Amino acid sequence: RRGCGSGARPHAAMEEPELWVGFVGAGRMAGGLVRGLLQAGKVPASNVLASAPSDRNLGAWRELGCRTTHCNLEVMYRSTLVFLATKPHILPGVLEEIRPAVGPQHIVVSLVAGVTIQTLQRLLPPGTKVLRIMPNLPCVVQAGAMVFSRGSNAGDEEAALLQSLLSSCGLCEEVPESYIDIHTGLSGSGVAYVYLFAEALAEGAVKMGMPGTLASRIAAQTLLGAAKMLLETGEHPAKLRGDVCTPGGTTIHALHQLEKGALRATVMDAVEVATKRASDMAKD
Amino acid sequence: AGVLAAHKITASSPDTDLPTVSGLRKMGVNFTVSNKDTVKSSDVLFLAVKPPIIPFILEEVGPDIEPRHIVVSCAAGVTISSIEKKLSTFCPTPKVIRCMTNTPVIVREGATVYATGTHADVEDGKLLEQLMASVGFCTEVEEDLIDAVTGLSGSGPAYAFTALDALADGGVKMGLPRRLAVRLGAQALLGAAKMLLESEQHPGQLKDNVCSPGGATIHALHFLESGGFRSLLINAVEASCIRTRELQHLADQEQISPAAIKKTLLDKVKLDSPSLSVASASKVSLFTSKSKKN
Repeated sequence: RRGCGSGARPHAAMEEPELWVGFVGAGRMAGGLVRGLLQAGKVPASNVLASAPSDRNLGAWRELGCRTTHCNLEVMYRSTLVFLATKPHILPGVLEEIRPAVGPQHIVVSLVAGVTIQTLQRLLPPGTKVLRIMPNLPCVVQAGAMVFSRGSNAGDEEAALLQSLLSSCGLCEEVPESYIDIHTGLSGSGVAYVYLFAEALAEGAVKMGMPGTLASRIAAQTLLGAAKMLLETGEHPAKLRGDVCTPGGTTIHALHQLEKGALRATVMDAVEVATKRASDMAKD
Repeated sequence: AGVLAAHKITASSPDTDLPTVSGLRKMGVNFTVSNKDTVKSSDVLFLAVKPPIIPFILEEVGPDIEPRHIVVSCAAGVTISSIEKKLSTFCPTPKVIRCMTNTPVIVREGATVYATGTHADVEDGKLLEQLMASVGFCTEVEEDLIDAVTGLSGSGPAYAFTALDALADGGVKMGLPRRLAVRLGAQALLGAAKMLLESEQHPGQLKDNVCSPGGATIHALHFLESGGFRSLLINAVEASCIRTRELQHLADQEQISPAAIKKTLLDKVKLDSPSLSVASASKVSLFTSKSKKN
């Protein structure tokens, strides 16, 4: 199924500033990351090679100017920085396949949910530089939140490289691996909590007489604006909340309703549950 | 607080057996059973009777009110305009200030607000502020906020006592002796309040500063949130404020239940007619330092 051209040959160690980037798996998340990479302007599209079993996703990559293939090994031969972006259950098979082609020049970055650095290092040659990253969906619009951790052989240089490449996708921070499941609960799944909240906001407005499409747009903009203020002012959310509450006004009345519904505790519960589930799944 | 010498203070009450009376006497406060005497020997007059009794008192002492008098009412729910209305039959421009304080004035950590009436000057307000600031925090507000203040800091100490009792229970449950648990709980609230008052930071920020990731405190806070802790407190302040307004409404209508009177008055009270009533619990008045009585 995966025919490998005989023209594939090992590529020499990367020299500044030429960086050859590969993607094993070309789904949504990988697509989001590559868009960010290209926007950062650090890597020309022609230096990017993505592989996928079918052509379904690859057309979009070609439109960006990237190269594509159906051969995972080719990605290893032609790239130094390689992103693993397969589904979790596919990964072990893929690692077995590419293992012979992995060398000391490679930097392997896994986006695969629930697969620990320990597992990755076990399935790859000893000494391989491995990093693990957990992005979130809005990476596809360059407003993502990503955390990454390094394996035993990845150093400051690799971490700095990853950070500089991915900062254009959004927030990108290095963390201890133990935070990755928490990130899933907070931000990976967190995006869905926000969608739920946005939907509910809009429904409230519809109940009060506003047309749905308009209500949805305003709800989204409200969330965007509030988040932007949080990020740009650096103020504590409680303070920003207080700033909106005029004495006896509409906002404080509404907030009281939210408190009555124990919204805070419910949200804390959600993050907790998702985090625990992520770590349970990683153990499978 | 040393703001005023005890002998410059006069208090009156129909019942001389109250423990508060002997307490005041021990402090060197002048004591009388005659409200009229109190009024005559004072410049600043605090009306510290229960709200339903205020109209009776005003009727009684009205004729003795002179232009120099500053009448300060601490009665919950009794409006400035109702007092001015009552007094205006005796005195054309009565100086009235309405005040809401709370019990921790006893330990000089009170929270007091006041609103000045139509004929009270800025200096009159400032005088009161000076007096009350010696027993805690004191600031001027618009009268329409006083009900909210009642809900928050008027009733507030009761919320705190309830919380402290419960915190102590928690301590005891986890093995602390009761006395120690109470002491530690109180000190924790005292310290937290002090930190907040002395800090520029938002309480939310101060809370975060205590919560180390995955630690004990954040686990505990989650429980509080699950129980709707915040909304309970909001509800409490709201309920107290609303009840205050109801009481005010009752007072405005001068609807006084016999039970309320019975509770306040003792056997020595005669109820022939409102104007002859000697109904009062106790009334403390203070000499002003500006007064010609010095």
